[in-house]
Amino acid sequence: MRAMSLSLALTALGIAGLVQPVAAENSIAVPSFVEETAGAGIDSVYTGEWEYMVGGGAATFDCNGDGFADMLLAGGTSPAKFYRNTSSKGGALQFEAEASGLELDTVTGVYPLDVDSDGNTDLVLLRVGENVVMRGLGDCRFERANEAWGFDGGDAWSTAFAATWEKGAEWPTLAIGNYINRLEETSPWGSCTDNWLHRPDAAPNKFAPPLALKPSYCALSMLFTDWNKSGTPSLRVSNDREYYEGGQEQLWHVNAGQAPALYTEKEGWKPLRIWGMGIAGYDLDADGYQEYFLTSMADNKLQTLATLPTDGKPAEATFKDVAYAKGVTAHRPYTGGDLRPSTAWHTQFEDVNNDGLVDLFIAKGNVAKMPDFALKDPNNLLLQGADGKFTESGEAAGVASMAISRGGALADFNMDGLLDLVVVNRWEKAQLWRNTSTNAGSWIEVKLQQPGANRDAIGAWLEVKRGEKVLRREIFVGGGCASGQNGWWHFGLGDTAKTEMRVIWPDGTAGDWQSVKSDNFYVLEPGKAAQVFAAK
Amino acid sequence: MRKLLFSAVLALMWFTALGAAPAWANASQSDDVLRMWNQLVLKLVRHTPTYSPPVASRSFAYLGVTAFEAVASGSPDMRSLAGQLNGLTPVPQREAGKTYDEAVVLQAAMAFAAQNFFENTGPTGQRALASLEAKLRTEAAAGLPAEVAVRSEDYGHTVAKHILAWSQDDGGAVIENMGFPLQYELTKGAANWVPTSLVAQQQTPLLPNWGKNRTFAMPNGATCDLPPPPAYSEDKASVFYKEALEVFETRQNISPEQRAIARFWSDDPMLSPTPPGHWIAIALQIFERDNVALDKSVDVLARLGIAEADSFIGCWNSKFQYDLLRPVTYIRRTMDPKWESLLNTPPFPEYPSGHSTQSGAAAVVMTQMFGENFAFKDATHERDGIKPRAFPSFWAAAEEAGISRLYGGIHFRAAIERGLEQGRCIGAFTNALRTRR
Repeated sequence: MRAMSLSLALTALGIAGLVQPVAAENSIAVPSFVEETAGAGIDSVYTGEWEYMVGGGAATFDCNGDGFADMLLAGGTSPAKFYRNTSSKGGALQFEAEASGLELDTVTGVYPLDVDSDGNTDLVLLRVGENVVMRGLGDCRFERANEAWGFDGGDAWSTAFAATWEKGAEWPTLAIGNYINRLEETSPWGSCTDNWLHRPDAAPNKFAPPLALKPSYCALSMLFTDWNKSGTPSLRVSNDREYYEGGQEQLWHVNAGQAPALYTEKEGWKPLRIWGMGIAGYDLDADGYQEYFLTSMADNKLQTLATLPTDGKPAEATFKDVAYAKGVTAHRPYTGGDLRPSTAWHTQFEDVNNDGLVDLFIAKGNVAKMPDFALKDPNNLLLQGADGKFTESGEAAGVASMAISRGGALADFNMDGLLDLVVVNRWEKAQLWRNTSTNAGSWIEVKLQQPGANRDAIGAWLEVKRGEKVLRREIFVGGGCASGQNGWWHFGLGDTAKTEMRVIWPDGTAGDWQSVKSDNFYVLEPGKAAQVFAAK
Repeated sequence: MRKLLFSAVLALMWFTALGAAPAWANASQSDDVLRMWNQLVLKLVRHTPTYSPPVASRSFAYLGVTAFEAVASGSPDMRSLAGQLNGLTPVPQREAGKTYDEAVVLQAAMAFAAQNFFENTGPTGQRALASLEAKLRTEAAAGLPAEVAVRSEDYGHTVAKHILAWSQDDGGAVIENMGFPLQYELTKGAANWVPTSLVAQQQTPLLPNWGKNRTFAMPNGATCDLPPPPAYSEDKASVFYKEALEVFETRQNISPEQRAIARFWSDDPMLSPTPPGHWIAIALQIFERDNVALDKSVDVLARLGIAEADSFIGCWNSKFQYDLLRPVTYIRRTMDPKWESLLNTPPFPEYPSGHSTQSGAAAVVMTQMFGENFAFKDATHERDGIKPRAFPSFWAAAEEAGISRLYGGIHFRAAIERGLEQGRCIGAFTNALRTRR
């Protein structure tokens, strides 16, 4: 019933002018999702008042090596809650809450990464107060590692995170975005506190004292991304204009051994001032350069390079907004009758119908009770068509939740090749949907592993062929809204039964193209043939 | 000496007529109340998403009148604006023979007004409103007999409620979708405005009916109407083309000083206190520099708010009467399809320039209140990293604000020059208000 054609879905939406028009012949398979929150045992609520109006993240990661994505949900004033994934392949979603050591309070954001490259996923917990890095001990047990790793958690209202391994580094560099000075009551505007860059210390396996990234403008999302294919990721920071003075969106040079430096107007960077809340990146048009979706209030941006570099010249850091042209402004609810402007938070590009075209999820929800913005603000699921334009399918797909949403993740929780969805809500239970589409195409999912430091190959590029087209995605930790993932990287392949894939490893080494069959999980290591991973 | 004696006699007559007891007066505390509430209001204008410049001007007017009436009700020298402003009836009088504390009256009136005009602000604004009220309420009432504090606070609320009730049917009380109509039919024609923004919400113009709102001091929105803009033409010999060419060439050859001027007066909504807030900020800076007395301060703020609010009504009336396209539309059509203005082009018709109209009106008012050739420094945007600028007079500032829109590439010269003229006309109605007995 839910798997209907998009033209029918648009008729069902039935509100003139609220969705981007779609040509009748531009048929897109609408996925179907079924909410399984209660059945899966998910009952975490993101609680708290003013200091928790932002944040509310979800982390998905496999902490027991079974291939299934486990989950940590931020709880705000309530303890963060860990859920072990007990789903079976292709079955209903099942989780069991259990003590893991991650049950800290005042947690706003959660990001997984293997800090010490020991094969056990670690987690960075962003908090109102001291941030904490938690070392994975195996079998989903964690312990505080601030002291052991020399990590200064500080005392701030932390709201954004990204990680990279700088050139030649054995230890990661963590960027943490901080928000308002929470002690300012009467005039908190202009009180943005410093963001921090935690670089490796000279001593092994430790972080140096954090470096203040001045100026800082109340970051709500950060992403290390190689936007210009230079081989060295820059740090993209999306800032909340509600609180900064003289601020704007930011792009930092972060080069090993050098002080971070902002991109300047001479380098093409143009000021953009939005209520920046979330970042998602993907090479949508297969030109080799990523597009970036930036969530905001009443308007969202889709940025693409204004001019593609030619003749080997470096790319200029000038982006233009194509959100309107591509149909992803998502500026107001598309269903539910509330026509006030939307408030957008977590965002993620993934292919939810496996048609080989990346789609866009946006979590929506009022800041609190702002009467000028929609109080019934459904999450968006925007499906990309063959013409590169997106059309709304949230309601038809079954994910148009009206809860006050914040963070989230699209992840394949039951390892059936279809991406499922978890969303963290403010003052309400998180929600979990299983993707039950019967009209989806083929897929592959890939996990990267390399020896030594940076085991999960953060900063690599994974390329998969689909006919003449090469699907390209950057392996990252960061972005979104307070939410991060570590695990399988998913590609939809449409009707492609067999494909080729390769990796550009973080050191720039290009792996060989490898021929693989669709509808499988693969583990890729440098210089080795892809190994099929069989889920139990 | 004779003037002083006359004032004393007048004051005595006034108190006798009202049967009132002299009010407690702590001028310094009242100054603090006025300053701190206005400073917060400037922040709230910036951080409340419905507060586009027209909406901001309306609230500045009502907040200014609230403060003025609260202070005037306790002063023998001041004359209420009731009966002078369209639709404003006299505020309820104080109880005869009772004592009031002026700081508490003003604090209560401002707190009530700010909380109501910014009831839609976000959680941080609500927190700031509550915090400032708690602080100033405690400070103002400190050491007062409880009955005086309660009576004064009640009266301040009464004044503010009276003004709030007056505001409700002026046509501007309800702002939906941040001022952008969900349905709007564009007028077809080469000369007419078309959307210039890539923001989906801004595909309809901001507040197309604002020009029909009830005005404050001038009769109605059409009172200071303008002649039509230069006739639309793509002929290179036409006035219209030449004006567009001036914008185009200015952008191509813009000097650092012109760029700085454009940025200084940009006053973008959500990133600044908006153009009317800029002039309120100028007034507050002068109050602080010159220790301007409370009775004059509230007079200035009321007049400035009124003039700005009337300006936006009059200006919007003209904008939607003439519905002229923006330079970016014309220049891309006739000169350079990739042309970009320096400033973001606002999402509504071009003629006349709103900043010019309201700056002209502000200069008229400020010149009457402080005099010709009144030099001042303007540091409104210093915290945003924009250097202060100094001006030899209010008109010098207004003219710079006007021409900044040409430097910014968002207005033709006619819209600026005639906007300033429209401001002169509108400001004159405010200057005709009598605030002294």
